[in-house]
Formats: sequence, C-alpha cells, structure tokens
Amino acid sequence: MWLSILGLILGISLGLLTDIQIPPEYANYLSIAVLASLDTLFGGIRAHLQQVYDDKVFVSGFFFNIILAAGLAFLGVHLGVDLYLAAIFAFGVRLFQNIAVIRRIILAKWAEKKHVSETPS
Amino acid sequence: MKRKIFSRFSIILFVIGLMTAIQYNTINEPDSRDTRDVWEIRQELSREKQLHSELLSEVGLLDSTLSKYDEISSESPEQALKDTVEELRGLAGLTEMTATGIEMTIEPSAEAVAFGEEIDYIAPDLLIRLVNEINRNNGLYVSVDGNRIVNTTAIRDINGLTTVNAIPIQTPPFKIKIASNSMEDTEKLYNHLLSSRILDDFYIDNLSVEISAPKEQVTIEPYEKELNYRHLKIAEEE
Repeated sequence: MWLSILGLILGISLGLLTDIQIPPEYANYLSIAVLASLDTLFGGIRAHLQQVYDDKVFVSGFFFNIILAAGLAFLGVHLGVDLYLAAIFAFGVRLFQNIAVIRRIILAKWAEKKHVSETPS
Repeated sequence: MKRKIFSRFSIILFVIGLMTAIQYNTINEPDSRDTRDVWEIRQELSREKQLHSELLSEVGLLDSTLSKYDEISSESPEQALKDTVEELRGLAGLTEMTATGIEMTIEPSAEAVAFGEEIDYIAPDLLIRLVNEINRNNGLYVSVDGNRIVNTTAIRDINGLTTVNAIPIQTPPFKIKIASNSMEDTEKLYNHLLSSRILDDFYIDNLSVEISAPKEQVTIEPYEKELNYRHLKIAEEE
C-alpha cells in the first residue's frame, strides 16, 4: 500500500519538478486521460476488494480507457460535437459507483472486525 | 500475488500523478505572454522617456515658481499671489491667450457642394476625435468656433445641434484655433494634423479641413461661462 502512495508522490513530484508542459490544445485530452486512469484505478481497487482482480484486465483497461477517451475527444473536436462529455459522464458515473462499492466493502469489513473483537470467546 | 498487485497499482498511480502534475503545469501557465517585439518595446520606452522629461520640466517650472515666491515674498506677497492666480486662470482657460498656433477651417467639401448637398451639421463624435487628436499633440489652448475648450467642456448633441460648452456651433464653415507653447510644438502639431487620418474621417462626413500654416500670433478666446465647481472638493492635507 505504501508503495502505491510512494508511486503517486513520485509521479506528482517528477511532473512538478521537471515543469513539463503540453500545448494548451491538448489539455482537454490529458484531463480526460486523468479521469480515465482514475476510473481504472478505482475499478482495480474494487475488484481487488471483491477478490475478482485480474492483472490483465486491469492493465489493459487502463490503457484502453485512456485511448478510447482521448480518441472520443479527438473525434468530437473534429465533428464539432462535444463528445468528450460522453467520456466524462461515463467515467464520472462509474467513478462514483466504484467509490460507493469500495466504501461499502470497507465498512462491512470494519463492522465484521469490530464484531469479532467484541466477541472474543 | 499481493505484491504484484501493489506494484501494478504503484505504476498506475505514478502515471496518474505525472499526468495530473503536467495538467496542473499546463493550466497554471501564465496566460498572457509578452509577445512585443523590440520595436514595440522601444516605442514604449520612448513614451516613458517623454513622460519623464515632461515631469522633469514640470518640476523645473514649479521650482522656478517657488524661487519667485522666495524673491518677491519679502517685498510684496500680494503681487506674487496675484501673478499665480492670473497664471492659473490662464491655464484654466479664463483669459484670452495669444500664442503661436494654427487655425483650421472646417467647410463643406467641394464634392458635396458640387452635388448640391446641404451640409449643416458636424457630428459631435468627429469633433471630439479632432479635439482629442489635438490634445494628444501639443495643442494646449483650443477654441472651436469661438468657444474655448476647458477641462470641463462637453461636446455633445443637444436637440440635433452640436454644441460646445452647451453653445451650438455654426454650420460649417467655422474655425478652430489652436495655440501651443512654442513654435516647435506648433509645427509638430501642424505636421501631425496634416498626416493624420482624421482628415479622411472629416471627408467621409462631406467636410473638408483647411489647416493654416503655423502663425506667430493666434488669439484664443477666453471661456465665457462660470466654471462649474460642483464636484470639486478641497484636497485634504496629508
């Protein structure tokens, strides 16, 4: 777990320190990519907690979601339709659902633990 | 197994962190970059320098007034004050002013006359533009058709008539007199007016402008009404 947080911190600090910038036209794509990867991440955590985690699904989902979202946004720009909203909507809804499931699982586990510790006999 | 999951998670989180940071960098980029080239910056510099020299000359003027006070105050403080009041009245436009300057005559353009069009109106906007153009270029004392332009002068349309200081101006032709401090300033103003686009703007309104060559003596009429002090307040001493 700490390894993951270390990875996050490392990524953020590397990004901030190197001061990499992308052209502002592409900021839209990057924001969608961030959203897609967050969605994949929480999906992965949920799957892990539900004991259905699969390595291949997780990693392929990560890249596939990002590419799909960016591609949709790209298509939207060229068609003049705000298609990236579809990606934002889908990922946003799923993000909330995943987080809700994670919360329930953690709560259930916590309640179970408490129950066990209260009845030691 | 667990270790493997966490290492995957760390890599993904690393990528997320990197992307978030890049996004942050991109969004927080200063939105207005200085894109002026050397010549624009030089122009800016020359403007500032001009302002600087103007301020310096003003300081010199005030210094000389001060020394004048010092000289005269021992003998007759009254006279010094009167002189100053007279000077300030001159600056405010309450006295007649004779100085080097030019005269402009606004008249219907020859084309309009040839077509038999009746020109009996000059748009206040056009007049304001002209006065601004003059003010920008060393024209210190201006009168339009005998109405002195002072700080509180309004040029506007009242019931279809273009008025200066609430006095309707004649239908063209009429005269605009401009006086400056020195012959040099007058010449600069003259050359600027000749080359400025304001003449084209007049032409669009079927008016032609004739600008006299710089004269040694141009007399500008005084402001004839009471100055309106309603919104003036005494500045508080610090």
